[in-house]
Amino acid sequence: MSSDSSSSTSGDDTKSGQHTPQPLEHQFASVALSEAPATQEESLNGEGHHRTETEINEREGIVGGFEQRVDDKFEVDEVGQSVEHGVMWRRTNSELEVDGQSSPSSSGYAGERGSTSASSAASGIDGIVEDEIQHVRNDDLVDGFSDLSSSWVPGKRHLDEDDASISWRKRKKHFFILSNSGKPIYSRYGDEHKLAGFSATLQAIISFVENGGDHVKSVRAGKHQVIFLVKGPIYLVCISCTEEPYESLRGQLELIYGQMILILTKSVNRCFAKNPKFDMTPLLGGTDVVFSSLIHSFSWNPATFLHAYTCLPLAYATRQAASAILQDVADSGVLFAILMCKHKVISLVGAQKASLHPDDMLLLANFVMSSESFRTSESFSPICLPRYNPMAFLYAYVHYFDVDTYLILLTTSSDAFYHLKDCRIRIEVVLLKSNVLSEVQRSMLDGGMHVEDLPVDPLPRYGSLSSHLGQPTDSPERFREFTGIGGPAGLWHFMYRSIFLDQYVSSDFSPPINNPRQQKRLYRAYHKLYASMHNTGVGPYKTQFRRDENYVLLCWATQDFELYAAFDPLAEKALAIKTCTRISQWVKDVENEIFLLGASPFSW
Amino acid sequence: MGLSSADTATEAIQLCIFDLRRGQQEGQELDKILFFFPADFPFSRQLSVIGLSEGLITFTRIFSPEVACEVIEADRHTHVFYEAEPDIWMVMIVEKNESEAIWRVDALQKVLKEIHSLFLMFHGSIRALLEKEPAGGLIRSHLYPFIIDYLRDFLFGKKLLLPSFRDCLKERGTVQMLTVSREAAIEVQSLVRLLEGSAGNKPCYSLILFQDLLVSTTLSPVDTISLFTYSILRLTPHALSSGVSSWSYLRKGSTASHVATGSILTHSASVLEQVYGSQDTSHGVDDNYHVARPLQQDRWSKGNDGFLVTDLWGAENGSSTPAAPTIWLQQTEERMYLSAYQYKSLTLILLVPVASILNGDQGVSLVKQQVHENASLKMLKVEEILSKGWGGENAYHVSGYRYLLVDGDRSVSRSSPPGKVTTLTKESLLVLSKVREEVDLEKGQMVGVNAGLEKDLEICIRAKNNAWVIARITKGKEVYMVLERANDTLLYASEAVEKFSNRYCNGAFSLD
Repeated sequence: MSSDSSSSTSGDDTKSGQHTPQPLEHQFASVALSEAPATQEESLNGEGHHRTETEINEREGIVGGFEQRVDDKFEVDEVGQSVEHGVMWRRTNSELEVDGQSSPSSSGYAGERGSTSASSAASGIDGIVEDEIQHVRNDDLVDGFSDLSSSWVPGKRHLDEDDASISWRKRKKHFFILSNSGKPIYSRYGDEHKLAGFSATLQAIISFVENGGDHVKSVRAGKHQVIFLVKGPIYLVCISCTEEPYESLRGQLELIYGQMILILTKSVNRCFAKNPKFDMTPLLGGTDVVFSSLIHSFSWNPATFLHAYTCLPLAYATRQAASAILQDVADSGVLFAILMCKHKVISLVGAQKASLHPDDMLLLANFVMSSESFRTSESFSPICLPRYNPMAFLYAYVHYFDVDTYLILLTTSSDAFYHLKDCRIRIEVVLLKSNVLSEVQRSMLDGGMHVEDLPVDPLPRYGSLSSHLGQPTDSPERFREFTGIGGPAGLWHFMYRSIFLDQYVSSDFSPPINNPRQQKRLYRAYHKLYASMHNTGVGPYKTQFRRDENYVLLCWATQDFELYAAFDPLAEKALAIKTCTRISQWVKDVENEIFLLGASPFSW
Repeated sequence: MGLSSADTATEAIQLCIFDLRRGQQEGQELDKILFFFPADFPFSRQLSVIGLSEGLITFTRIFSPEVACEVIEADRHTHVFYEAEPDIWMVMIVEKNESEAIWRVDALQKVLKEIHSLFLMFHGSIRALLEKEPAGGLIRSHLYPFIIDYLRDFLFGKKLLLPSFRDCLKERGTVQMLTVSREAAIEVQSLVRLLEGSAGNKPCYSLILFQDLLVSTTLSPVDTISLFTYSILRLTPHALSSGVSSWSYLRKGSTASHVATGSILTHSASVLEQVYGSQDTSHGVDDNYHVARPLQQDRWSKGNDGFLVTDLWGAENGSSTPAAPTIWLQQTEERMYLSAYQYKSLTLILLVPVASILNGDQGVSLVKQQVHENASLKMLKVEEILSKGWGGENAYHVSGYRYLLVDGDRSVSRSSPPGKVTTLTKESLLVLSKVREEVDLEKGQMVGVNAGLEKDLEICIRAKNNAWVIARITKGKEVYMVLERANDTLLYASEAVEKFSNRYCNGAFSLD
């Protein structure tokens, strides 16, 4: 959304073949309400023709409205030079062969062999720096590292690259969205429009296999995997050499698709039904940041593969206070009321039987947090929850209470802005009065569970852990069988997923997992473990122990929870097992504070 | 030809070999195809298989120039790639249409590799044959019967059964060794000396097997594997008596099933040609090439003098005496005469360079005579010692364990006897197959950048059916295990590995 001020509403300039991204707001009349209410009236009137339809059948109405807007754009959508529908395989080949002629080898790629082997020494580390090129020189690593730290800047980089660039080819993880006619919609790296030929190749692969009566899922070549996901007229492709398992990468494509649906709804399919050459890029104009931030979260946010959400640790009473007021507004016609601090949930309430899928929460939070405009003013924006109803828009009222804490109120009614604004004011008053917001700040400072604080006491300890979670005031004794950094028995990190609650808690990172690179590596290891535990066909397994050069990983799955724990690679098996039992006990002891428990009638 | 009943069978597997350097011009694409199975597959579909394969090889090289496409996974098929020689690709497409059709890509790739290694051993490289006759008729006439003969071993009724998850406690491309006592080893050594001395001072090699197990070899590892594989397929007493390879557990079951397969196989020779098309009608192979078909079944037998005889290499010019078999060694790039002698369970193979014997088959007969004179007594002795020490079919069974041990550096493997593996539940085998797939991937990621480092990995899984499935990789050695009906603690499972490692692997997999 960062580009909204610079773009024009007229579609004329697209005729030249140069696509100026259209801001999302123009397509969907997402209304920023920092100005006078009149602006809102006007903007909403933009959708006025469809109001009657909306009243009859809201979902259809939204679809119709969307389609109308899209239809209006058709005239200016012709992309003269782009690749034709149904690109022939032969043609694609010849394009690639031409590409390869620059070098004499049959692979057309001999030129790069030297550099690859020459830089192999740096490999141990560069495997982690996904944003950077596969084989970076040591000094590049410094940049790669800073990329990942808290100063990570969302948005697209390396726009100057295309598939002819060596640097582009060496990026560790590409994501593409394209249409079934081969038109590029999104590429993580490089300019989509320059990637039209490449996009056509991807389309050709998919349709070639489809013509043979099959559906391509993945291609493997050495360390590289190409993962395909077909969603009606939308194709998603990931090309990765990050060693993440197929299931993880496919899950990531699903989330990217979900993010797109969250912005556009699935009714975008109808545009393709009407015009296969439909160009979707303008509809997603300015949303690069949303996708790049989601892709970034694949390497730091366990919610992206655990399919669960996590809560900000808070005293039970504090969370109760927040939940009570959210419940209050939910009863007044709000579908979902969500109070969040960054990506962690403070409280969440759904109307009656409505339930919110953790993936929807992830995508919604990502959308809100990555769009700068939500931070600056209270906003009312159409969004779609792909797991809740992929065909329909809901309307999200978003308001930030402070730099990290925000409220999302979801409704089905497009003219509920003032009502939601009132609700927000009521909520704000209560939150301030009951000190919830300051408690949130404090929790942020205190952090969550630390492996060093794992209590040795095996007996259940009821009661509060005070403000600082796990501060072992009541159990000073720890077990010392294992000396070294990290927690007892060489414990480095853990994640606990409650199956019943669809929530997880993970320990805060402590040494030796103390930089983003190591964190990302650990998450990748968890990915493998998770994919292995949940493999289709013969899974899920009950227990898994895995030891390699980097970690001892243990996963323990029961009907109630899954526990993933990472230890020093030299950790002793017997102690590691004992430690896992203690973690699960510890989590149960403090579940009142780390989980959102039965605060509302969730029914998932 | 063209039986309608064949349609379902022909869908199940396709295997092709193509040369990316050929057929560059439009309209000449068919020229790329050196082999296609089934041969009566419509040309348009053959071209489409090769077009997709070629397209993906080119595509993947954009990102992965060193290793191009290895596998395509689609909903209904798996396409497995193997670049046998530079720009010469083998692609196998298998259908996943039923619950038994669950493959491990690496195992299928090893089938392709095996076909190619055997082909190299008998006919030399594909590229060399192409260069000898650029029109391609020569290579096609070699490949077609060779691969059809190879695939016939996988034919079960009208279906080709490739190694599936049920074979995950086996490792193709490795040799299985007989463990011998020190005393026996000394005897074997002197037998080798006598054997190789029979060829005078010619540089020769030998390979000795007891049952289906390797006792001794003086060949390079790569040639040992190929010749060992061939021996198991066609030469050992077991291969001679059943006329069937022993690769599949389905075939290695009870004697009753042997009878059944036997009766199927009596007419199987024609089945493949009926089902998959015979060579002369569909592939236009010129019979004038007189190609030896060393993998044809039931063509070896034991002669009166104890030497194995075959007419697979045709007859000597004008006479009715069969020509002496020859093979090609990869290591020394030499063509060798192959003589195989069998005494009870003992099979001895002597390789003498073709170049060193001036008078052809006559010279080979002289060498054989020498073998007889020099080594007969020693053979009796060695056979006796080995038989005495041999624990029978279940010699390497370890009670409670179902295992596979692979020494990757030496290309040697040992596993639970097939009869014991069949007692495992399908679920356990499926889990093991999945675990092996994960390990294959991890190993694959080690090549290239991390090739210098040795993988050290341990995976212990408690499956839904409460079986423990274990994989350990360390210092180039691998062990895979299934423990069914085991205690439910992880510690118990690790202890079991530890015990096994100490007792049977000299502690290779022990933690300390």
